[in-house]
Amino acid sequence: MSGEDERHARAVLSLVSEPGDWGFTRLARELGGLGLLEALHSDPERHEMLSAAAARLPGVDAEATLARAAAGGTRFVIPGDEEWPTQLDALHAPDPLHERGGVPIGLWVRGPMRLDTLAEAVSVVGSRTSTSYGEEVAADIAGRVALAGHPVVSGAAFGIDQAAHRGAVSVGGRTVAVLACGADRVYPPAHRRMIEHLAAEHAVVSEAPPGAAAQRVRFLARNRLIAALSRGTVVVEAAARSGALNTANWAQRLNRLAMAVPGPVTSATSEGAHHLIRTGAAALVTGGPDVLELIGSAGDHLVAEPRGPSRPRDRLSIRQQQVLDAVPLASGASTVSIAKVAGLGVVEVRKALGRLAAAGLVHESGDAWVLSKAATD
Amino acid sequence: MTFATARTVALNGALGHLIDVQVDVSAGQAGVTMVGRGDAALREGQERLRMAVVNSGLYWPSSKRTTILLSPADLPKAGTHFDLAIGIGLLAAIEAVGEADIRHDAFIGELTLAGGLRPAVGVLPMVLAAAERGIRRVFVPEPQVREAEMVPDVEVYGVRSLGQVVAILNGEEPPESSPVVAASGTPLLTWRGEERLEEVDLADLDGLADVKYAVEVAAAGGHPIFLTGPKGAGKTSIAERIPTIMPDLTPAESLELTAIHSLAGVLDPGSGMVRRPPYSAPHHDASKASIVGGGQGRVSPGEISRAHCGVLFLDEFPLFRRDVIEALRQPLESGDITVARQEESVTLPARCLLVLAANPCPCGNWAANVGDDRCRCLTPVRRAYQQRISGPITDRIDITRRVVAAGRAQRDPFGTETSAEVQTRVAAARRRQAERYAGRSWRLNAQLPGARLKDTWPIAVEGQQAIERQCLSGRLSARGAVRVARLAWTVADLAAVRSGRDVQPGGAEVEVALRLRSSAPLDLAAARGQERAG
Repeated sequence: MSGEDERHARAVLSLVSEPGDWGFTRLARELGGLGLLEALHSDPERHEMLSAAAARLPGVDAEATLARAAAGGTRFVIPGDEEWPTQLDALHAPDPLHERGGVPIGLWVRGPMRLDTLAEAVSVVGSRTSTSYGEEVAADIAGRVALAGHPVVSGAAFGIDQAAHRGAVSVGGRTVAVLACGADRVYPPAHRRMIEHLAAEHAVVSEAPPGAAAQRVRFLARNRLIAALSRGTVVVEAAARSGALNTANWAQRLNRLAMAVPGPVTSATSEGAHHLIRTGAAALVTGGPDVLELIGSAGDHLVAEPRGPSRPRDRLSIRQQQVLDAVPLASGASTVSIAKVAGLGVVEVRKALGRLAAAGLVHESGDAWVLSKAATD
Repeated sequence: MTFATARTVALNGALGHLIDVQVDVSAGQAGVTMVGRGDAALREGQERLRMAVVNSGLYWPSSKRTTILLSPADLPKAGTHFDLAIGIGLLAAIEAVGEADIRHDAFIGELTLAGGLRPAVGVLPMVLAAAERGIRRVFVPEPQVREAEMVPDVEVYGVRSLGQVVAILNGEEPPESSPVVAASGTPLLTWRGEERLEEVDLADLDGLADVKYAVEVAAAGGHPIFLTGPKGAGKTSIAERIPTIMPDLTPAESLELTAIHSLAGVLDPGSGMVRRPPYSAPHHDASKASIVGGGQGRVSPGEISRAHCGVLFLDEFPLFRRDVIEALRQPLESGDITVARQEESVTLPARCLLVLAANPCPCGNWAANVGDDRCRCLTPVRRAYQQRISGPITDRIDITRRVVAAGRAQRDPFGTETSAEVQTRVAAARRRQAERYAGRSWRLNAQLPGARLKDTWPIAVEGQQAIERQCLSGRLSARGAVRVARLAWTVADLAAVRSGRDVQPGGAEVEVALRLRSSAPLDLAAARGQERAG
């Protein structure tokens, strides 16, 4: 069904509708692009939403928009295309959030990276008002997962988003920016250089048509795409009302992994991340290896359990440790006196001392037992 | 006439004394007597003088009694540059030159047996002192003309020999003389260390965004900064790039520093004024005298004065000797250093930017993160090492930063700022300070007296409250509170430069200052006064 007619129809729909509008995306999925466009033309009075979109139809020239976009290096990818990232189809299932939801009508993409290679992607998102701690951790996580071959998805915003893209690019990994404005535009303007680099080497993606401005509600629709494109979403530093929490929420609704990096408990910029961890909404991760273990298949990228160095003492039974503790530090002692100090029977102590001697922890010097060097380390 | 006076300058630390060299040539037992507490090298001058006069083709009163007084007589005098003044005094006494001509003149230079003039150490501060005391004309060895000419309102003659000076004084055409060698020493090593430092740039370093911001603040406001971190993390690399973000010295700073370098005898006569901020990184074996100044006889400026208006970097700070660490306390507060010697007490300027660096433990591998910790030190050893850092010195440090090696992911593929870009902002922030503190004795926020912070340049109420809260909870001492307030001023100055708005220090700036002080992570965009839209 993904003929050029369908692409054209969906381009028109993209131009007349608001990105991620739940009612619209649902209808587009049920009727198909051509079907919905047909309905817009034939029966716009059926619903208020349709009539509003139909009213915008006369001012829309999809042909010209597609041509201009193509000239600027932007393509329009629609469901059914070979390049279509099928993980987005999961967006059909969950209920809307803030009236945003559903499978996008299409995606405007600028850059050489193909969207169907994003199946293993990881999102790294967080607060715009980040600290240097968060930025370092975000860049590090992005670098680690990118090095392991996972593309990094983020939103090109200030702070954590920027650090995530930077980390991935630094290690020569792949990364995708999902924008709230048109893929041909740059938002925030201060990140022009980075976004142009991503468009030239990686990919910049938007659900909004070319020329669209970055309006506030479009960030909500954008966040759902970041979560839906990737296997898991890592939240690094999110304040209480951060948009990153919205992204984490979408990750949960899609049954993808939600992960969060803790910060100092006194830090306001980590409040949201801590809330996610405390309520069990996100798994606590401390770095790239943790993320890799969680998003990988079972048994891949296992993280070593943190443990201290092992000592010979660790392998002793409690009785043997009791005996070892009873051997005086400075001088040697007889079996009888060791038994007295340890509070154990002489026979048992003699047996234990034999074991300890075999383990190289004590040795006999004359008729006294002396601690060996290995026991004092 | 049998008696005449010529003038020269004696240096006593940074203090120059105008010396009257009085020479009396009269009948009596033939011979030369010199009084006035000259040191051995100075007293040998009478031998150099006699041959110099004779070999210049001038008359030497060998049948008369010659008495030379260096006045004031109680001031100890050192150096060989008195030779020329003594010679001219003697020639004036026997009327080989007219004494009336030399009342407003000063003579500086060491004589050779052939009558040539050799350079002296400290010509610039000597001429400065002479000008201060009404001298209008100075005679200096030819290689040091540029040094002397830095002083305004003084006529400078660069001369090669005693004969030339006499001719000039008598209004005659100066005779030809062979040129004077500028310096006696020649570098034996093809050492290129200083040239290497001219090549470094902040853009060489990846990541370390908050450390780079911290050194920008330190350079803008003159705040002492302490860098900790495992070895190889980039502490030294950061420190040696701090001079590259500091603007050229102001004319006043340049004159002060050139005078100090002249005093220390490290001024290259050919290079003229010191215009770039100096960088000094003494080894941790250095003695107290070499750091703060001292020496025998004449007080020689230490590294802390030679780095005046520049950077003094003490790497491996806990390994420095205890007395050196303690001796740094005074200059950190007052911006000058007073060195007492047997006969004199000398105060030298020492407003350098102090940069300290320390490993977290003796082996340098300890890391807070268990996964990265490769430390092999015993716990008590590490604790003792860390205790050497704490105490009265750290209370005087405004900024503390942990430097952790920037991993591959911390690079900045979208362009890193160069030193020149940062230097522009530092210069602008310093201009704001210069305007604010015009006519005051201090230049930078770090030198702002605590009392003026209260009455003239207070920080906004919510900022003061934030400081108060830290003091009440015991996390900040009274001195620390003052230092945080000064730091907040610098943060505000830099934010103003970045944003183009006028920024006064308030709650946000104090928050940044407290974080800088406590090595907590920074919200860099907020610190820079940027709006984060979108």
